[in-house]
Order: sequence, then C-alpha cells, then structure tokens
Amino acid sequence: MRPPADPALLERRLLDITRRHFFRQCRLGLGSIALASLLSEGLFGRGAPAAPRSPFAPRPGHFPARARNVIYLFMAGGPSQLELFDEKPKLRDLNGQTVPGSYVEKKRFAFIGKDAKLLASRRAFARHGRSGAVVSELLPHVASVADDICIVRSMVTDVFNHGPAKLFANTGSSRFGLPSMGSWVTYGIGSESEDLPGFVVLQSGPRGPRGGSPLWGSGFLPSAHQGVPFLAGPEPILNLSTPGGLSRQRQRAFLGAVRDLNAERLDAVGDPEIAARTAAYEMAYRMQTSAPELMDIARESPRTLEEYGAEPGAVSFANNCLLARRLVERGVRFVQLYHTDWDHHGNLDTNLGKPLDDICRQVDRPAAALVRDLKRRGLLDQTLVIWGGEFGRTPMGEPRDLIGRDHHIDGFTIWLAGGGVRGGQTVGTTDELGFYAVADRVHVHDLQATVLRLLGLDHKRLTFRFQGRDFRLTDVAGEVVGKMLA
Amino acid sequence: MSIAARVAVLASLVAFPAPGARAAADFRRDVRPILARRCHRCHGAAKRESGLRLDAAGAILHGGNRGPAVAPGKSSASLLIDAVLGRGEAPAMPPEGARLEREEVAVLERWIDEGAAAPPGDEAPPDDRARAGAAHWAFQPVRRTVPPAVRRTAWARGPIDAYVLARLEAEDIAPSPEAHRATLIRRLSLDLTGLPPSAEEVEELERDESPDALERAVDRLLASPHQGERWARHWLDQARYADSNGYTIDGSRSIWKYRDWVIRAISSDVPFDELVVEQIAGDMLPDATVDQRIATGFHRNTLRNEEGGTDQEQFRVEAVADRVSTTGSVFLGLTVGCARCHDHKYDPLSQREFYQLFAFFNGADEPALEVPTEQQARELPLLDTEIAAAEKLLAENELAVAKRQVEWEAKLRPLLASATPPRELLEVPENVRCALARAPGERAPEEVQLVADHYKSIDKDRIPLAQRVADLTKRKEQLKRSITTTLVLAERPEPRPTHIHIRGDFLRPGARVEPRTPAVLPPVEPRGPRADRLDLARWLVGPRNPLTPRVTANRVWQACFGKGLVETENDLGAQGSPPTHPELLDWLAAELSGGGWSLKRLLRAIATSAAYRQSSRARPDLLERDPRNLLLARQSRLRLEAEAIRDAALAASGLLSREIGGPGVYPPQPQGLFRFTQTAKYWKESQGADRYRRGMYTYFWRSSPYPLLATFDAPDATTACTRRARSNTPLQALTLANDPAFFEMAQALGARLLREAPGPDEARVPRAFRLCVARQPSERELARVLELVEAERAFPDSTPEGVWTAVARTMLNLDELITRE
Repeated sequence: MRPPADPALLERRLLDITRRHFFRQCRLGLGSIALASLLSEGLFGRGAPAAPRSPFAPRPGHFPARARNVIYLFMAGGPSQLELFDEKPKLRDLNGQTVPGSYVEKKRFAFIGKDAKLLASRRAFARHGRSGAVVSELLPHVASVADDICIVRSMVTDVFNHGPAKLFANTGSSRFGLPSMGSWVTYGIGSESEDLPGFVVLQSGPRGPRGGSPLWGSGFLPSAHQGVPFLAGPEPILNLSTPGGLSRQRQRAFLGAVRDLNAERLDAVGDPEIAARTAAYEMAYRMQTSAPELMDIARESPRTLEEYGAEPGAVSFANNCLLARRLVERGVRFVQLYHTDWDHHGNLDTNLGKPLDDICRQVDRPAAALVRDLKRRGLLDQTLVIWGGEFGRTPMGEPRDLIGRDHHIDGFTIWLAGGGVRGGQTVGTTDELGFYAVADRVHVHDLQATVLRLLGLDHKRLTFRFQGRDFRLTDVAGEVVGKMLA
Repeated sequence: MSIAARVAVLASLVAFPAPGARAAADFRRDVRPILARRCHRCHGAAKRESGLRLDAAGAILHGGNRGPAVAPGKSSASLLIDAVLGRGEAPAMPPEGARLEREEVAVLERWIDEGAAAPPGDEAPPDDRARAGAAHWAFQPVRRTVPPAVRRTAWARGPIDAYVLARLEAEDIAPSPEAHRATLIRRLSLDLTGLPPSAEEVEELERDESPDALERAVDRLLASPHQGERWARHWLDQARYADSNGYTIDGSRSIWKYRDWVIRAISSDVPFDELVVEQIAGDMLPDATVDQRIATGFHRNTLRNEEGGTDQEQFRVEAVADRVSTTGSVFLGLTVGCARCHDHKYDPLSQREFYQLFAFFNGADEPALEVPTEQQARELPLLDTEIAAAEKLLAENELAVAKRQVEWEAKLRPLLASATPPRELLEVPENVRCALARAPGERAPEEVQLVADHYKSIDKDRIPLAQRVADLTKRKEQLKRSITTTLVLAERPEPRPTHIHIRGDFLRPGARVEPRTPAVLPPVEPRGPRADRLDLARWLVGPRNPLTPRVTANRVWQACFGKGLVETENDLGAQGSPPTHPELLDWLAAELSGGGWSLKRLLRAIATSAAYRQSSRARPDLLERDPRNLLLARQSRLRLEAEAIRDAALAASGLLSREIGGPGVYPPQPQGLFRFTQTAKYWKESQGADRYRRGMYTYFWRSSPYPLLATFDAPDATTACTRRARSNTPLQALTLANDPAFFEMAQALGARLLREAPGPDEARVPRAFRLCVARQPSERELARVLELVEAERAFPDSTPEGVWTAVARTMLNLDELITRE
C-alpha cells in the first residue's frame, strides 16, 4: 500500500494507467478494444473502469488505527462548562465579587471588563456511574453514559472570538484558508465509503455556525477533501436527483453515452484524467441511490427513533445524530455535526436560564443515544465521538437583559467517547474559580494530535507543502494526550 | 541620533574617563568573551534568535526584534541586563544552563554604564544573512538572453521556440506536431478569452489556408473585450476578490468597481507597471483620478471581522499582514508571510524585514469611495444649487414670518381664557398654549423656541417654502444612497508607528521599524525622507527588481501551459523549484519589462509560438523520459476553471449573456445553502439575461460560495491564489449531469440544434460537436451519438426536443467540454 498523503504517488499512479493504456494499444494495435477491457462491465450497465482510485480510497496511516471513523458533535457558540461539567463551590462563596486582579491581569475578553463580577452556577451537580463523573442536572442522559465517556475539563484555546476560535478548533489556525480536520483525515487515510463522500457535515439549530464553509474547507489540500454539507431531506447532496423528471432509463442511456464518448477520447489522447472522470461519474451515480437511502431514517425501528428523539422529516440534532451513526455504518470517515447556538451572553434569548435548558434538551438525549447505540452495534470501539465547542465561558457573569457569561479560552470542557479513548474518566482540572486549567492542560492542538493519533496518523508527519512550508493540522505544536487513550 | 553618531559621541566620552576611575571595560577584551561563551550559540552570525546578534558591539546597540539590547550609560534600563538577571519583561537568559556569574554581569553593566563604546570597525551589524542568500538565482538581475541555435530551424517560429527546442534537442526528443486547427482555435479562444469559439470562427479558420491565419486569430482574440475578462479573472484570484467581508458575519461589501477596473485596464492593455503602481498606491499619485483610487481596491480585498466583541485593531493588523504576504507572493514570488513570527527559515528575509514591509502599508486608512455615474455626478451639484436657492428663499422669508407670528399671538393670547375658544386656538398643542400664556418677554428660551416652531409649522406662506427644502434634501439623500461605493486605501497624513510583533503577536510590540525593502533586493529609492507606499509600488516594478517581471512572466506562461517554467509559481526562493528553462524565463521577463510592460505583447509571443501550438496528446516515448512534461515536448490537456466551465456550456447553448461588468448577479442556485451560514445571505434569483452572465459575475459570498464555483476549485478568496487546483470529483459529475442550471443549458442547446441544423441526424450531431468541442466527431463517435438518438426515440413518450436535449446533455458532460486540449 502507498503511504498517505503523497501527491507524487497519485500522479505516478495516474501515469501507470496511461502506460497500461499505451502498452495495450501499441502491442495489440487495437486502442478501442484496449479500452473496452479497461472499462469492464460495471455499474453504469456496461463498464466499471480500472481507473485510478479515487482520492478517498482507504489507505493505512502511520500507526495501527484505534478509531476508524470520527463523529464530531460541534457545539457552536461555546457551551458553559460551569453549568454543565465543571462544578465550582468556591464560586458560590464569591458570587458577585469582582474577579481578583491576579486572574485577569493581561487578559482580554470579548465583551466584559476586568472588573467583572464572579457568577455562581444555579445548576445542581451530582456524581454519576461507577466512575463518579461530575455532570450537572442539565445533562441527565449524558450522565447516564458517564462510564463510556472521557470528560476533559482542562481544554484551552488561543482565540476568543467565535469565527477565529471555530477555525482554530477545526483547522489548527485562526486564519482562514487552512485545511480542516476532516479534510486532513480523508487526505491522510481516505474513506471506507465508495458511494458517499468521505467527510460529511450536518447542521441543526436556528442558524449555521459562524464561519461557514471554511470550517470544513480543504484549504490548500485537493478540494476533493472538503467537507460536503448534507442538507436535510431526501436530497442531502446538491444536484443529487436527475433533472427534468428524466426516468432512470434515460439517465442510464445518457451516462452510457458519456462514458463511451469519454472512452473514445481517452483512446485518442491518452489522458488518464479522462479515466478518473469516468470513475467520478460512477461514484456520482452510486450516490444517487445511496444518499436518499441514507437519509431515510423512517426505516429505523420506532425504538431507535424514540431513543434519539428523532422524527423523520424534521431538521434536528437528534436526526443528525442518527444520521451520523448511519453514515459511519456506511464507512464515511469523518462526520461533523454543528449545533447552534451555545452563545449564552445573557440576553433574553441567550441567558443561562431557559435558553440553556432548551439547548441542553435538544442535545443531551441524542448525544447520549448516539454513544449507546454505537456501543450496542459494536461500532463504538472504532468510532471516536467528540462533543465540544470552540471555547467555554467565563467564571464571571455578563449582565445583559439577564445574566450570562462571556467567551472563555483558559479552561473549558469537552468529552470524548469510543475509538480508543478510555471512557469512565475525567481528565484535567481548573482552578477553584474555574478560570485556568491547572492540571493536565489540553490545548486544542493537543486534542487534534490525539484525534489523529487515534486514527493512526502522526500529526507531525501528516503534512502538505504550501507556499514554501510544510503545513500540518497542529501548526508547530501539539502533544498526544496519553491519559485519554485506552 | 543615528547609531553611528551615537557611537561617536559615546566614544568621545569614553576617551576622557573621569579622574580616578577604574580602567574602562573594553568590548573586545572584556565583554565579547563573556557573550561568546554564553550567548553566541543563539545570538551569533549563524542563528539570530529574536533578530538579535551579540557578537558585535554595533549589533548589540542596534538590537533585535525587541529593540536595542543596551541603553548606553544606563545598565539598569538595558534589555541585555534584564535578560541575564531574569528581571522585567525580557525572558530570562540563557534559557538553558547556568545563569551568568555576578562578576560577568558586573562587567557587562560596567561596559554599558561607561557608554557601551564600540571598538572602531565594530559599529554596524554585518548583514551577512542577506549577502549569503543573495547568490540565489532569483535575486540576480534579469539577463537579456540570446536565443540559442537549434537544428530544426523550420519548427521554431520565434525566440521562445528556440529555447524550448534547444532543450529538447539536447535531450534528443522531437517536439509534438501542431494540434489540429479546431483544437487550436478552441485552445486559443479559451486561453485568451475564456470562451469557446463559435462554430463559424472554427470553420473560418479551418478554411483559411494563409500562413498567418493563426496569428490573425490571436490578434482578433487579443482585441476582444472578453480577453480583459479572462485575464482579469486570473488577476482577481491573486487579489482575493470577493463580494463579502468574510469571517463569521460575512456581510456584503461593494467593491465590484475594482473588479471592473481590472477588466478595463487589462482590456486596454494598460502597461503592467502602471497597473501595479495604481493598485498598490493609486491614491498617492499626484492628482489621483477616481480610477487610480478605485485601483487601490486590490489591497481592500482583505477580510473584515464584524463579529461583536472583537478587537478591531487585531483584525486591522491581520489585514495589513495579509497585504504584506500578498504583495510578497503576487509580485515577488516569495513566501514573505513566513517571516511574520520569526526569521524566514530558508530565504534571506528577517522578521524585522517583514515589519519593515508592514510599515509601508500601516499608514493607510480604509475608506469607501463614492463613484457616481456621469448622470449622478451631473445631478448632485444641480441639486445642491437648488437646495441653496430654496434655503435662501426660506431664510429671506423668516423676518416676515416673525412679524406674522407677533400678529398671530396678539390675536390668540386674549382668547386663551375664553370659555368658547376658537377652533384655531384648539388646534394649538397644550404645551404651546401654556407658553403662549406667558408674555413674550417672560418666556424661557425653550418656550420661545416652542412657540416659534409651532407658528412656523402653520404659517401658510412658509409651509411650501420649507417643504421644498425638505423635498430637495430628501432627493439628495436618495441620490447619495444610490451612488455605488467601492473600498479603497487612503494614506493618513501621519503614518502609524510600526513595531516588530514579537512572535507575530500584535500585543507584544518590539523594536520600532521604518518602511524599508528587504536587504537582499536592490533598495527602495524614496522620494522624500521616509519611504512610503508609492515608493514601494514603484520599487516593485522598478528596473532593478528582478522578481516582479520573472514572477509575472512565469504566471502568464503557467496560464498558457498549465505549469510555470518555475513550477512553484508563488515561491521563487530557496525552497521553490528552479526554472526548467532559466534563459527562456529571463527572455520572457525582459520581453515584458523591456516591451513597455505590455501583457498582450507577451501573450501574443507565447500564443503564436510553435511550442504553444503543439498537440497535447500523450506520447508513449515521453512517459518514461518526461512524465511531467517539464521539457515541453507537447502541450498539456487542462481542465477548465470553474467560471470557464459555466461559460463554455452557456456559450454552446446560446444562452450566454456577453455583457461586461456591473454589480454581481445571482444565477439560480439550490435552496438550503444558507442553513450552513451564520446569517442568511441575499440571493434573489436574477431574471432575464442576468441568469446567463459569465461565471465571474456571480456574487461571491465568502462563507457560502456559489456551489459550482466551489465544486470546480474556484479559490475561496481568503488569501492570494496564484494557481488553482484542478480536481476531478463525483460532486463535479453531479453538477454537470444534474444541476438544473446545466439542464436548462442542455435544453437550450437541444433546441438550438433543432433550429440551426435542420436535416438528418448525421448532420445535426457534427453541429453539436462544433458548438461544444469545436472539432468534428470521429465515425465511431458519430455512431455512438446516433445510438443514443435511437435509444431516446425508442422511449414511448419521446419528443424531438427530448431527444436532442439528451444529446446536448451528453455533449455538455464530456470530459472534453470542460477541458482545454
């Protein structure tokens, strides 16, 4: 097998095709017959070309992989760790007092000042599972899978505005134009799916994530690796259905003619890109069947739908969680779900009261159901589930209409499950105010290095040369977090 | 005081030590050995951490990224001492191993307190880094090379061919034959104008047997206004042009006037050096025209973060840094951006030099310029005149109004207490009546105002006069609002101070720097005491800068062959690939800069060469010897860019609108795209011809690009794109096969075939080939299409339109349609 991430090899492989083409043409002197054998009987009805493998062809990484797939539940906006996972009794004592100057000296915040007042959480926390993980009352379902998840309370990131921080979490840089984690992964190890894209993005909540397509962009990697946003409904991929009400027979007649005419041209000019294009049409044709089938969650048992809280036809995080399971079942390498909006600053619709209750209700049950369902189906071992946002929220309150919290980068919480992660543990702590991560600090680059490691990739070796430099997901940093690994 | 002057003064102080003082610390004897032992490994000639060298007194005084390392006469305020003592802001030094001994520190302190005298000849830091890197090929002056002699003199049509052929002959490889006429005219038409040739153009060229037929075709295409569009689009990739602000909110912006300026400038072949100067510093040219200011939009295509809670200075700095990096990659072909956080690892560019370039751009403000149409420009002063006249009339009337107010008050005041007040009084608001109750002399100022304002609002003679002023003012506001604006640069009277950002962090300002060009290149020649953006612009295209002409010529070549002579088109530095044909590259560069910087002239030279005209067919003999086609023994088959794919299909279908310029348009796009963006984007589907405009006019939202564009590798417009990728994916297949917009084109092409090619199927199919791929079908191809026609006719609900739509759809999905052969 070829090593990952080598464009030169791809080129060489394409050349092999051409060489084979000429070899046959020259020796037999029968170009078109050579082609007929090159394009053997296949899914178009007549020919599946022995064309170059797609950029998604699965390939081994640098190490044996612990995880085969990733489902990244991206909690856009920055969930409040202090209301969900990181209980701070000390904040109750100091509620309403100005944050000590030693904490905020040289700090900048998006909205609040250095004289902000500390804010205690109103939420009750309890220990759950054999591991005794601390989870708040807002997430009873997640609490019920406490022994399967690894809670990381010591996350830190570099930037405190949404767009840059989301880019940072996804691309390892707060600047635009770098490849996202999903595209690095499919670039590195391809995908197991032959009839769906290797990197799929789903969206739920009142609006799309701040930042838009660059969050799942491929940057300078080949654009085939960019995430493909799936829309709700039977047609998740743009232009999936045949236009103009054309019948299936007509579509086949059309595709057959395209294939044969392309084959004629390949015969005449010998450009392997033509064979690659025929292969792309084949996969497109398969997607036309596989994608609607994928999206049809009505086929799931009532029990499963109930467990997730999914409803056929709805646009919801619950539906997307179920779709995520269906996607990894079908071999899709990297699935990312964006759910908005966790940005609880304290306005009428963004305070830490009912708005937080509501979003927790939307997310809690499906996320836990996903972990449980994957486990029941034996998929959790090979599927890494990540739950987390671009940053957390300040121990200080942000008074607006009501009360909320500002963006916080020095200590926040995420959780992971499956895919080689040791569940039933809590990694890292923050100080008594929940301000700074103090033990087992996990930087975003460390998380990225760990995710790649679980997939069998060395974050220092998964590189791409661009503008004179070898770029990688983790920039010039990142350490695999040994404690997370099973 | 300059460093040299300061050193001189200090030296004079040291020469006369105070009586009774100890022997002065001598740099060479006492200080340097300590530094050599403890510091030179990281702060020496080889490795200059933080831009600081400690191996020469001058270098120490000069300092590094954090500023001068010593304050002569004041050891307590010296960074060097802070660092070795581990106090203050400076990081404790040395970072590893033992601290300096007390005695060692004392020596350093004494040397500083005594004035930090530099021994003669040790004053200035030797810039050997730049000197060492200067030997690299790309920094050498462009040579006027002489085309080599070749054996196949008949093949070579000009100097370009001589260079290409000489190399092939050296390798004993024969060039490829000329491509067929139809292929050639399609290649030329797509390369020069981004549009396929019409059937008539192909047929005319096939008939034309005169020896200069192709030259004339090239001239005709170069004169086409569509040439400006095509080559503007290449340029806009580098300019990172888009119609929205980027980042998270990604609001709309108006900067299409810049896009149109590029099209016009390229169409009329404005010399490239002027084009550069105007884009970098058009606002600073004497008596800058509106167009010259519009041109500065080049560096306003940076992103803007409108997110709440952002530090605006942070994102301004980000935009300025992008201007530096973009200037580096677009004009210099250097990865200047690498030096933002540390010295460049491979090229002779220090972090200090990055910020010296930064300083050129740091003095600009970022306003929007109003660009009225001629009619608006005429109307505006007319309105102003009318408004002035109306206001004058109103003002002149005020005395009479005041008089009438007195009469009015006199009439009403006695009635205030009346049991049956007249209607006129009832219509006076309560608060005014209260004020009226008081005698005019006793009213508070606001009451006076209140009564006067009320009276003015009811004075019958005054109302129409006031109304006229109001109407005219409103019309002016409407007119102003309807004027298109465009983003430009405007130099501030006083430049902002620029500091090195330690590790690229704008919150950690280091040493202050002034505008200066990198030392490895010939120096900028400022007009005044301080170099500015206009000086930089002129320096970029100045006669001594070897990079801009090489980089530009290389990119023109890249657009015509798919690959530059330097394959790493954005990196001519040490890490880039060397040119495959160095003499040819210099010939092209000299041809460009010496030929009045005419891009069309350069394009013509390339497009009329035999090298360009070669067939792109793969050759078995080259597979082993030159698999990547570096020797140019053939042309290359290149997938078209996203916009050209749309344009080619629109042109074949006959739907294409050839209108040039104007605001972005909104061709049909699938529903639901904006579920993935933070805010829903405006996309009211264009009607009429605007649905069929060229791809380059499609409104570009950075957070949600038009799907066709993203699917076919159009750049995301976040950083300068100097070369597009050419991917080959299933989503592309879905787009061409199923996109309703493409189906509409297929239907139009089907109808066109029925309309324009009456007669038997055997004649109609060749017409389809002509329109789509310019050439005629082979017998086997013809047979295969006829097979499709038969199959389509066999469907029970078959119609002629349906049959020929199916043929058209097939043609629009051929690999060849989206490929330049």
